[in-house]
Amino acid sequence: MVVRNQLNALHPRKCLFMGLLVLSSLANAGEGLFGWIYTLDLQPKGSLEFEQRLQLTTGQANGKYDFWYSRSELEYGLTDDIQVAAYLNAYSVNAAQNYINPEVCGDAVSCTSGYGVPDSANEFDGYGKTGLDGGSLEGIWRITNPVTEPIGIGIYLEPTLGKLKNAFESRLLAQANFIDDRLILAGNLVLENEQLKSTGETIPESLIDILLGASYRFAPKWSGGIEYRYHTDYNSYFWQNQVQTANFIGPNLHYADKNWWATLAWRYQLDGQCMGEGTAECSGGNVWDSHGKNEIIAKIGFPFS
Amino acid sequence: MFLAGASAISSPCLAHARIYISVEQAQKILFPGSQFTLQPILIDQALQASLKKVSGVHYPFRGEHIWRDQAGNFLVIDEVVGKHEMIRYAVGITATGTIQGIEILEYRESYGYEVAEQQWRQQFVGKTAHDPLKLNRDIQNISGATLSSKHITDGVKRVMYFYQVALKGAN
Repeated sequence: MVVRNQLNALHPRKCLFMGLLVLSSLANAGEGLFGWIYTLDLQPKGSLEFEQRLQLTTGQANGKYDFWYSRSELEYGLTDDIQVAAYLNAYSVNAAQNYINPEVCGDAVSCTSGYGVPDSANEFDGYGKTGLDGGSLEGIWRITNPVTEPIGIGIYLEPTLGKLKNAFESRLLAQANFIDDRLILAGNLVLENEQLKSTGETIPESLIDILLGASYRFAPKWSGGIEYRYHTDYNSYFWQNQVQTANFIGPNLHYADKNWWATLAWRYQLDGQCMGEGTAECSGGNVWDSHGKNEIIAKIGFPFS
Repeated sequence: MFLAGASAISSPCLAHARIYISVEQAQKILFPGSQFTLQPILIDQALQASLKKVSGVHYPFRGEHIWRDQAGNFLVIDEVVGKHEMIRYAVGITATGTIQGIEILEYRESYGYEVAEQQWRQQFVGKTAHDPLKLNRDIQNISGATLSSKHITDGVKRVMYFYQVALKGAN
C-alpha cells in the first residue's frame, strides 16, 4: 500500500480541503505525560484539542472523604510557542466523619469537614454535593524548546473563578529531554494566590508547590514514570504565615495514539504537618483540608478542528 | 503510475494518518533505472559507539538494510525514534558521496507529516558527510514538527558518517 499515491486522484481543491482537515485533526501536541506536572509540549499553531480531566481526592483521617474535580478544557495553539486554553470546572464532594481533630470536632470522636464542605453543614452528618464550580483561563509561553535546547523553560498563568475558590496560579515550567527525547525530566514551581469560599466564608490563602517528575517512553506509544509534590500553604494572599507542608509521590502511565491520548496518575501523601493556626487541618501526620491520603487523576485528550 | 504517485509526495497534500512506501519504491524514486543488491554490514560495538557520538542518536543503527547498485550508489535504510512510534526512512547516497535524496518510508505519528514534504527533504540533497547536518543550522526546523525534524536530521547525519567510515571504501 502506497498511501501517498492515492492523492493523485484528488482534485486540487479537495486535496487542499482534506489536507487542512486531516492536518488539523492529526495535530496532537499538548499531551499530558504527567498527571499534575505540566510540560512544554504545546499545541502547534492553529491546532485545537479537547482535554478532559477527572481527579479524585480520597481518604482523610477517618470515615469517608471523596472529592471529585472535573476539568473540561479546550486548548489552542496561538503560535507554536504560545498556547491558550479555557476550562469549565465541576465538583462533587461526599464526606462523612472524616475529621478527628478536636479543634474542629470538639468533644466528638469524629466530625464532617474539609474542602467543599461548608461550615453551615451539620458537622455530625454526612455531606454530599455536586455542582458546577466555575471556569479558568490558561496561557503558556514556551521560551525555550527542550527538543532543541538543553533545557526548556516556560511560563504558565491560570486565573480561576469558582464557587469553591477564586485563584491565580503561576508556574515556572522546566523540562529536559534525554535518550532521543524518550526520557523526560520535568519540574514546575507553582505559586498560587487563592480566595477560598468553600466554607461559606472568604479566606485568603496562598501556596508554593514544587513538582518534580520523570517519564520514560518504555515502548512505542507508552510512557511511564513518577512524580513528586512538595506542598506548602500560607494563610495569606502573598505567602506569609505558613500553615501547612506536605509531601506526595506516585506513579503515572501515559498512552498516546494518533488521534487520542490518555494519562492515569496516582499520588500518595507521604506525610504532612501544620504549623501556626492551621493545626485543625492536620492529624495522624498528614494534612487534610483539600488534601487526601490518595489523589488519582485521569486525563484524556482528543485533537479536533 | 508510481512515479506520478511519487510526485504527489512532494505536494502539500500529505495529511494522511500513515505514510508507507517500500524500499523498492524508494530506490526507483532516488535512482531510477538502477538495480540494487542488498549488502548488509555488521555493526560492531566500536562503530555503534562512534555513530552515537557523532550523531547523538541513541537508538542503535542496524546495518542489514544497505543496498548498492553497479554504479556505486547506496541506499541506506534507517529508523529513528518518533513522538510515539519509529520513523523509517531511506537515504540515497551517490557514488561520489553526496545525498541524492531522502524518502520517508514509514511515518505513523500524530502530527509532523510535513517532514515528508519535498520542500523540507530537498534541504538534504547535495550534502555530504562533511556538512553539519544539524537542525537549525543547515537544516531548517518545521515548527510544530520539531521532534521529527530533529530526529530525522540527526539520523541522516548518522547515515552519512556511516557512509564515510564504512561504505566509502567499498567504491
